[in-house]
Amino acid sequence: MRIPILKLHNYLLISIQIDLDDQSAIQFQEDLLSKIHKSGATGVVIDLTSVDIIDSFIAKVLGDVVTMSDLMGAKVVLTGIQPAVAMTLIDLGIHLQDVPTALDLEQGLIKLRQELEE
Amino acid sequence: MEFQSCVNINKEWDIVGARQIGRDFARKIGFGTVDQARIATAISELARNIYLYAGTGKICFETIEEIDHKGICIIAIDNGPGIAEISKVMEDGYSTSGGLGAGLPGVKRLMDDFDIVSEQEKGTEIRAVKWVR
Amino acid sequence: MDRKLKELVVENSDTIVHMWLEEVSKSRQTDYTSTISDELFESTNREFVNVIFASVEKQGITTELDDFSERLVNLGWPLSYLTDGLQAFRRVTIDFILSELDQVDSNYFSQVLQAVDKWVDPIINQLVNEYSGSWEHIVSLQRVALQELSAPLIPVMENITVMPLIGTIDTERAKLIMENLLDGVIKHNAEVVLIDITGVPVVDTMVAHHIIQAAEAVRLIGSTCILVGIRPEIAQTIVNLGIDLGKFPTKSSLRKGFQSALELTNRKIVSTKSNHDDDIEKLVDSLDRE
Repeated sequence: MRIPILKLHNYLLISIQIDLDDQSAIQFQEDLLSKIHKSGATGVVIDLTSVDIIDSFIAKVLGDVVTMSDLMGAKVVLTGIQPAVAMTLIDLGIHLQDVPTALDLEQGLIKLRQELEE
Repeated sequence: MEFQSCVNINKEWDIVGARQIGRDFARKIGFGTVDQARIATAISELARNIYLYAGTGKICFETIEEIDHKGICIIAIDNGPGIAEISKVMEDGYSTSGGLGAGLPGVKRLMDDFDIVSEQEKGTEIRAVKWVR
Repeated sequence: MDRKLKELVVENSDTIVHMWLEEVSKSRQTDYTSTISDELFESTNREFVNVIFASVEKQGITTELDDFSERLVNLGWPLSYLTDGLQAFRRVTIDFILSELDQVDSNYFSQVLQAVDKWVDPIINQLVNEYSGSWEHIVSLQRVALQELSAPLIPVMENITVMPLIGTIDTERAKLIMENLLDGVIKHNAEVVLIDITGVPVVDTMVAHHIIQAAEAVRLIGSTCILVGIRPEIAQTIVNLGIDLGKFPTKSSLRKGFQSALELTNRKIVSTKSNHDDDIEKLVDSLDRE
């Protein structure tokens, strides 16, 4: 299953609404990177409001995607991580230290704009 | 031994199947949403380990009841190569597959009780229990 | 046999009561009941012994016993008063029965013991159940009360929320705090949460670990956490224990923390009072001139 990536001005918006399996996660990573390459986007918001499980593999893919996008010149913000998911990640010992986060899509866009202006 | 419910792990998609069934199972027992997420994540980690290292195996769920509390027991069984150094895999950040190395120690933290039995070239059995708070 | 013994005891209840009262009063001086007034002690003793006899006669649990135990539970009489009293009753009754007989063989002796046990044990069981039931009830009530107190969340203004923590934090409570904190952040759409630990008496590695985890979870869901209320001794323990709190902002007081929360959300407090002062001064000046 492919995850749709929407373009809005210089930003890419992604809302993940399926239960991610490993294959779709890796597919998503490839799709996003090639989309950044093609569109020259400077900011990416990945909204996780409807994701109710993030295990260590998905967390690694997400963390990697943030680092990789950074290398390609696009800032990534993760938004809408659910409390239950956040607690599970902490229990797993995954802190996603260098990944910017925001409460929701709107805050995410504000954060991106601030970071890009700096 | 009789298990109430089992899921075979043969392909990658079975990982998602196992955690969905596990989550439903946990909800029926009476776990809150946060613990449901913890249990589902633990199942995901265990199922992935089976898929990655043993190829095939199964995940079983059991309701356990004691005098004043209920819980879920997740049993992950495979006939894979076994784990050579259990103390090593229980260390944070140790990985032979390029992952985060958060799997087994993570499962231990997500659940209340954790027990692992492994014999080289024979297989591994992991039991993890979570109690309803 | 049992009936005969019972008749014997009931007929001589006055003697036994007398013996029992003496026995109970003997142990009184040093023990827990010494703060209770003599009058109350006497009257409770009378009632107690009547209840015992009533239940011996009727062979079983009586409503008198229920009422009596309920009342004593409510008055907070120690359970040991009742168990000691019943043990004294067992002693004096056996003594009395044996003293009534000239010759005692061991068979008869054990029958007497059994009979008296059969009278006394159900009463002890009933009383202990009543007491422990009431304790369990109290404990469960207090647990609920504690849970309600344990992780309050105050949305002080738009996008800023405060969680004041008071008292000891254990693992169970830490989990509750984390859940309430994260749910509250989502519910109030809080960009900044202030965790106030002024009321936490001891911050050891475990407590610090829980607080750090909560702060990291808050960051994951997209909000910022500021730890406030760090007293000097807590700063000392944190550093001496080698705990790294460097990753998230800390402030000594809630006031300072609130200020940085305002800065983070691009706001500041503007005083409106100075203008009023000016007005009043002008008014006073104009009055002087007149």
